[in-house]
Amino acid sequence: MTSIGWLQIALLAATVGLLTRPLGGYLARVYAGEHTLLRPLIGSVEAALYRLAGVTPEAEQTWYQYTVSFLIFHALGIVSLYALLRLQSVLPLNPQDLTGVAPDLALNTAVSFVTNSSWQSYGGETTLSYASQMAGITVQSFLSAASGIAVAIALIRGFARRRSPTIGNFWVDLTRGTLYVLLPICVIAALLLVAQGVPQTLAPSAEVTTPEGGPQTIARGPVATQEAIKLLSGDGGGFFNTNSAHPFENPTPLTNLAELVLIFALGAALTNCFGRMVGSERQGWILLTVMAILFGCGVGGLYSSEAGSNPALATLNAGQTTSAQQPAGNMEGKEVRFGIAGSALFAEVSTASSDGAVNSMHDSFLPLSGGILLANMMVDEVIVGAPGSGLFGMLLFCIVAVFLAGLMVGRTPEYVGKKIGSPEIKMTILALICVPAATLGLSAVASAVEPGLAGLGNAGPHGYSEILYAYTSATATNGSAFAGLSANSPFYNLTLALAMFVGRFLVIVPVLAVAGSLAAQPVIPRSTGTLPTDGALYVCFLLGVIVIVGALTYLPALALGPIVESLQILGSLR
Amino acid sequence: MLDLAMLALVVVCFALAKAYAGLCDDLLARPAGEDIAP
Repeated sequence: MTSIGWLQIALLAATVGLLTRPLGGYLARVYAGEHTLLRPLIGSVEAALYRLAGVTPEAEQTWYQYTVSFLIFHALGIVSLYALLRLQSVLPLNPQDLTGVAPDLALNTAVSFVTNSSWQSYGGETTLSYASQMAGITVQSFLSAASGIAVAIALIRGFARRRSPTIGNFWVDLTRGTLYVLLPICVIAALLLVAQGVPQTLAPSAEVTTPEGGPQTIARGPVATQEAIKLLSGDGGGFFNTNSAHPFENPTPLTNLAELVLIFALGAALTNCFGRMVGSERQGWILLTVMAILFGCGVGGLYSSEAGSNPALATLNAGQTTSAQQPAGNMEGKEVRFGIAGSALFAEVSTASSDGAVNSMHDSFLPLSGGILLANMMVDEVIVGAPGSGLFGMLLFCIVAVFLAGLMVGRTPEYVGKKIGSPEIKMTILALICVPAATLGLSAVASAVEPGLAGLGNAGPHGYSEILYAYTSATATNGSAFAGLSANSPFYNLTLALAMFVGRFLVIVPVLAVAGSLAAQPVIPRSTGTLPTDGALYVCFLLGVIVIVGALTYLPALALGPIVESLQILGSLR
Repeated sequence: MLDLAMLALVVVCFALAKAYAGLCDDLLARPAGEDIAP
């Protein structure tokens, strides 16, 4: 490990920390419909969109109406993206004359991007036309992020409101998130990326002659605009197959840092937005503290693991110490431009945040590092998470924490002034249980049937880790992959689509139900029986709940994969 | 034909999701007096 490596991590933490409060305040004002700097510029566009869609912005929805709007919108999104992918061969902006995407892959891709997962069973530059990338993938990246933030805002309103039958208007929240939050930030980010060398062109791939005299095709396209929202949205689906390891997606150390900031910025800011909307910014900082501790443990473990040598290679006298030719540590599968620290940091941010973008190959990480990446996704993307889903995932754990605390120490289960009763607990458990049920159930099926085993790149525990990683990534709507798994088969395309569907919709429906139930309640004044949720004790308790719930649910699966693989490597050295 | 099958799958999944929302709505109906406070 190097001081430069730690400096990169510290720089990211400091930048995100500095952005949290101003961005959180801006989000709170946007979703409250208050005046912002951009309102004079965008207000007329917003009003025109409402008129066009027949939406009355003042008309609020009950949680059930909000949910039905959410489902209808996403169903239309999947159908339209599916049609676009299937018909891309006859649509314009297809300079490489790519054929239509196969039905099972088109469905997988449509579900993937509409659910903010960005699992990609294809290589972008060889499969999708510019029309599909721009009007399909990029558009859905905006909309899936805006809808995720909308759900989080609805849940915050549930905590903040008193005796309210409504939790907002889905169409208004979706529009405001897209127009006032995502679009302006993406314009700035795309310009920065272009300035750093990321292509933004509709010209076809370049045909060049290499120095050796051979022909080479260099793929390019409208990359910068897709790259910006890919990161900001927590989506992570790359224009190129190698994602942010490709020099056209991530050309410089500055873009690497900027991409990491983009991934974390909105998720972190939403904690502050939560604090402001419930009337106590401290509550937001508490949530961010818990996220930061989990992130620090993850990145510390990952960096130290990858910076150490691979014990199996050490026995072969392979050089793994710093020299003029190479850096120290496990460099397999890593971009030399970013090295160990830049790769470990990106992998941690990507799996913690539910973004799923990669600048190194996660399949080549050491077994315990792979276990850390899996664990990040297994805790329900609460470590900052994707915009919206990270916050509502964390708030679900807060509900469980105050409930368990109530049982253990005799305090009234309440959180930020709302009593946590039977309905809220039922909905929370429904939301928390469907993800591990889908992950573990589908992993078990894929490990046992021929179509599942056919896609494996490795046998033994690493092969099992590849399967477990795929379904964990899908249900966590993360989208990153252990690239050793060949997932472009009807079996994996359909089962992973199912996993992403469960991970998105079967979680969000009960989350909105909790929002509706809480909004209908009065606010309870703080009393001596109230468990304080704004202090260090609660931070420890919440951390314990997250780790124990995650660990107990997934430990047996992790033991069969990365843990046993690590023990095998150590055992082979004896 | 495969396209129709895929679209049917989408329709069925969202119909089930809507039914799931209905189930949640039923579960939310808080019976009078029920309280899980210790």
